[in-house]
Amino acid sequence: MERVLSKIAEVTSDPYAYVAGLKERKNKKIIGCFPMHVPEEIVHAADLIPVVIWRGNEPVTWGHAHVPPYDCGITRSFVDDAVRGKLSFMDGFVFHIRQCLQAGEFPFIMERHFKPAYQKILYLPAIYPGDPTRDFALKELESFKTSLEDFTGKMISDDSLKKSIEIYNKNRSLMERVYEIRRAKPEILKAKEVMQIVWSSMLMPKEDHNELLTELIKGMEEKSVKAQKERIKVIPVGCLCQTLQFDILDLIEDLGMIVPDDDLYIGSRYFANPVNLNGNPLKALADRYLTKTPLCPTKGVWDIHWGDEAIKRMRDNDAKGIISVRVKYCPPHTCYYPDFRSKMAEEGVPEVMIEMEHEIISLEGVKTRLQSFAETIGGV
Amino acid sequence: MDVKYKVNRLQTTNEIRPLVDKHWADLRTAKERGELVAWASGPTFIFAYAMGMKCHFMAGYSAYCGGIGAGEEVLKVAEMAGDLPETCSYHRLHMGMGEAVARGIPINPQAILPMPDLMVAGRLCPEMSHYAEGLHRRFGVRVLPIDLPAVANIEDMPRVREFVYRQFKEVVIPTIEEVCGKPFDYDRMSEILSVLKKVATLRNQCWEFFKDKPSRWTLWDYGVSIAPVFYLMGNPAGITYYEKLLKELQERREKGIPAIAPDGEKYRLYWDGWLPWAFLGKFMRKFTPHGAVVLCGRYPWEFFPHPELIDPEHPVESWADLYYGMESHLVYTFSPKGTIDLIGKLIDDYSLDGLIMFSSKTCRVMNLAQPEVIDVLDKKYGIPGVIIEGDMIDSAMISDAQIETRLQALYEMIDSRRR
Amino acid sequence: MAIVVGVDVGSLCTKTVILDGDGGILSYDIMRSGHYYKGAADESIESALKSAGLKKSDVSYILGTGYGRGAVAEADAEVTEITCHARGAARLFPEVHTVIDIGGQDSKVIGIGDNGRVINFVMNDKCAAGTGRFLEVMALALSVDIGEMGDLFFASKEKVEVSSMCTVFAESEVISLFAQGHKKADIAAGIAHAIARRIVGMVGQVGLREKVVMSGGVAKNSGVVRAIEERIETRLLVPREPQIVGALGAAIIASERMSATIG
Repeated sequence: MERVLSKIAEVTSDPYAYVAGLKERKNKKIIGCFPMHVPEEIVHAADLIPVVIWRGNEPVTWGHAHVPPYDCGITRSFVDDAVRGKLSFMDGFVFHIRQCLQAGEFPFIMERHFKPAYQKILYLPAIYPGDPTRDFALKELESFKTSLEDFTGKMISDDSLKKSIEIYNKNRSLMERVYEIRRAKPEILKAKEVMQIVWSSMLMPKEDHNELLTELIKGMEEKSVKAQKERIKVIPVGCLCQTLQFDILDLIEDLGMIVPDDDLYIGSRYFANPVNLNGNPLKALADRYLTKTPLCPTKGVWDIHWGDEAIKRMRDNDAKGIISVRVKYCPPHTCYYPDFRSKMAEEGVPEVMIEMEHEIISLEGVKTRLQSFAETIGGV
Repeated sequence: MDVKYKVNRLQTTNEIRPLVDKHWADLRTAKERGELVAWASGPTFIFAYAMGMKCHFMAGYSAYCGGIGAGEEVLKVAEMAGDLPETCSYHRLHMGMGEAVARGIPINPQAILPMPDLMVAGRLCPEMSHYAEGLHRRFGVRVLPIDLPAVANIEDMPRVREFVYRQFKEVVIPTIEEVCGKPFDYDRMSEILSVLKKVATLRNQCWEFFKDKPSRWTLWDYGVSIAPVFYLMGNPAGITYYEKLLKELQERREKGIPAIAPDGEKYRLYWDGWLPWAFLGKFMRKFTPHGAVVLCGRYPWEFFPHPELIDPEHPVESWADLYYGMESHLVYTFSPKGTIDLIGKLIDDYSLDGLIMFSSKTCRVMNLAQPEVIDVLDKKYGIPGVIIEGDMIDSAMISDAQIETRLQALYEMIDSRRR
Repeated sequence: MAIVVGVDVGSLCTKTVILDGDGGILSYDIMRSGHYYKGAADESIESALKSAGLKKSDVSYILGTGYGRGAVAEADAEVTEITCHARGAARLFPEVHTVIDIGGQDSKVIGIGDNGRVINFVMNDKCAAGTGRFLEVMALALSVDIGEMGDLFFASKEKVEVSSMCTVFAESEVISLFAQGHKKADIAAGIAHAIARRIVGMVGQVGLREKVVMSGGVAKNSGVVRAIEERIETRLLVPREPQIVGALGAAIIASERMSATIG
């Protein structure tokens, strides 16, 4: 277990170096997939390495000249990385530009300053009624597949796509198993470690990650931990497309709380629900996007309430409160948030919102919020 | 500033307010007359109009609220209801209006609209869906959501056009038929397009007067005249209005009257982004004393610049083609590439000296890559640009001192390049 | 007699309240925090003890709160200022359901249940607008004493908009308003309204429920109080000494903890 965790910590502590090294070791091209909904399986089936783009670890510098200050952290950090040449190991990019307006900034900026060998824009539809949406989602994926075939000069067969889906599904079920054990014994991993595990899945070839997870799960199953009943269980929710600062996760735990489960992108949202392996694999991928990814404010949300989903997760885990992590300048989350908050108030669920920024994060302020929240739940 | 510049006001533009007021008044009182009410975002209101529904339009309503000075108080209600200040101000405006009615908070009665029987939420930008989702969650509004992707590469146009056309035919029309309880009125849609074609043609003739040096009118004059090519679509009063406007502009040309006295403009400018509906006067006072006149803009050019392509004989197809066709693709101007194409053409056609990129802090539709756009155009055409930050209706997002400084810097940059 | 102490180490001021065994206030102290929070906490406790005629050895429990709560060397425990402000306000005004606290470096709106406990809260510490610091900078830009700012509000005759949310830009805006010939009083009122606007959004997120108490140093500025009242259309209750509400709450919690250990 320790070996796996330290390997994972190494991958996530410097993703730039890791991915650049990966490209050399595997002698394959790297395609950066902008979070959240790009079906990486298709890239994998094209014998390329899909990597989910991340929010960097440095303050924005040159990027200021390209995007406004009221864009979110990952937008600013990614553009900054790209124009500074920090991502020179990437061979291409895929952007689903319909998830939020900020994602629409990238293709043009990349073409001008990065000139990637491959670039694809997806217009995956929000979840809307009728056949046109369903058909168009499939068409988008077909066009994605064709563009990759044109790039590599090799056809992607249904069988190879199915094989890739299988590897990805395997990763999803292993990740699900990690979460299952964590739900039963939340003390077994630190919240930061869990986030690193999910993040490493976005960076590593899934085959390699699956091996690591298999070893990790064995260790987790064997290890017994002392239950810390006095700790208050809380569920972090939000942070829809980027890493949450590890310091915040550490703070939650330092203040006497514990995280048995989450509703975060670099968390349970990433691996939820496998792709159906029967029938047309592209159709199955379209189907997962439209019907099987967790409720996401970027996709159009009508019949279910995010608040209800979060409360269910909280109750299922016997947790006492919800910590909303809202990325500053994330319009989809921001538009939804007032209704999420009202739902918490209606149901009498303790909830606190942490605003997250790329650089100016006043950790002291976050601490006060989290500590007050723990005091509120703890009855001080 | 040696010369004392002053705006020469047009007479015809005084006639727009009654038309616009009547439109919104009709909508406010529609339910009393037993008429059905729709709300729309994206270019979908035409389908409701064709069925005789009274219909609101997201940006049009917001512009109207800003124009009548009701924005501030309605935004305040939204904030009190928990909406966050960084949220799209059009979104907040709608939430605020809904909350004010639901909670009985008094606001300007002209800003109140009846809740719709159907809300057609065309998702041109994601926020146009989010506000519908919010109204659905908070007030149980019935929403018909459709996707209208903003296309970033021209070669993607055909497959998106097909998707949009199918949604019009297979989703929008059947749903509106069901709500109205009668078959879709294709003839009425054709009529609306015929009127629109006439109005837009006249409007294009008016645009020619921006090419005059000095210009005969300003973008702000056109801004207040937008409704006839926008949500007053299909109303023949629009034809009369633009005929009159055209006549007045012709008279100005004959008499040599410029948009600003005494002798016309020193700087001919482009305006990117939304028009600042609540602050038109405020901005005018930042231009005129310097001899600056804003002539063209991305948003005001979105309203059917090619009326010759409007085909009333095939209304639904034509509607899809205007937005997603290979000859006309109105959605393309939201993308950086489309913007650059458009502005480049405007610079040539209207002899522009500089670019003002109005960047709304709460709306990113037109902010996309604005610094890049300035850079590309400066390199190609040698004209400078500045970004000014603000908002369409929320005064809390506007810092006067900052804007003054940047505009003045633009004037100075233009001067220095003339030397 | 169980003497307890609450110390609120804020970014601008440190406040101490001493309670006797029955919960009665024996003394309090307010002083500038300076740069050395630990020294400020010690000194403030010392001074409050002195005015109550007590010695350190008389004290049974010390509870620290505020931005520098970790710096109270002799504290038996620390609790956030949010919990403390709620508790202090509920002691002073038992019917309170909302507290607006504007301190030196941040501002908070706290929703309180019938039992005086926190239900929810929001906090602004990202932007100085809506804080004591903002008022200080603005007073400097107006060249008036900070104490005069409140009175100036009521002398205002014309509405002037200070719209910027940011202290730095607001300062340049104030200077340009001067340049345009606006009156000092009108600009001061504009500043108060700018703060009120910032606060009202936070009240919206928590949900306005009466009675509303305002605490923190800025509550001494009657102009800001009135501007907020106008915006939320609700009267604000302001304690005689709004700065010590947090320290009072800390002392109350300290005394509860004392009785819990004894009981």
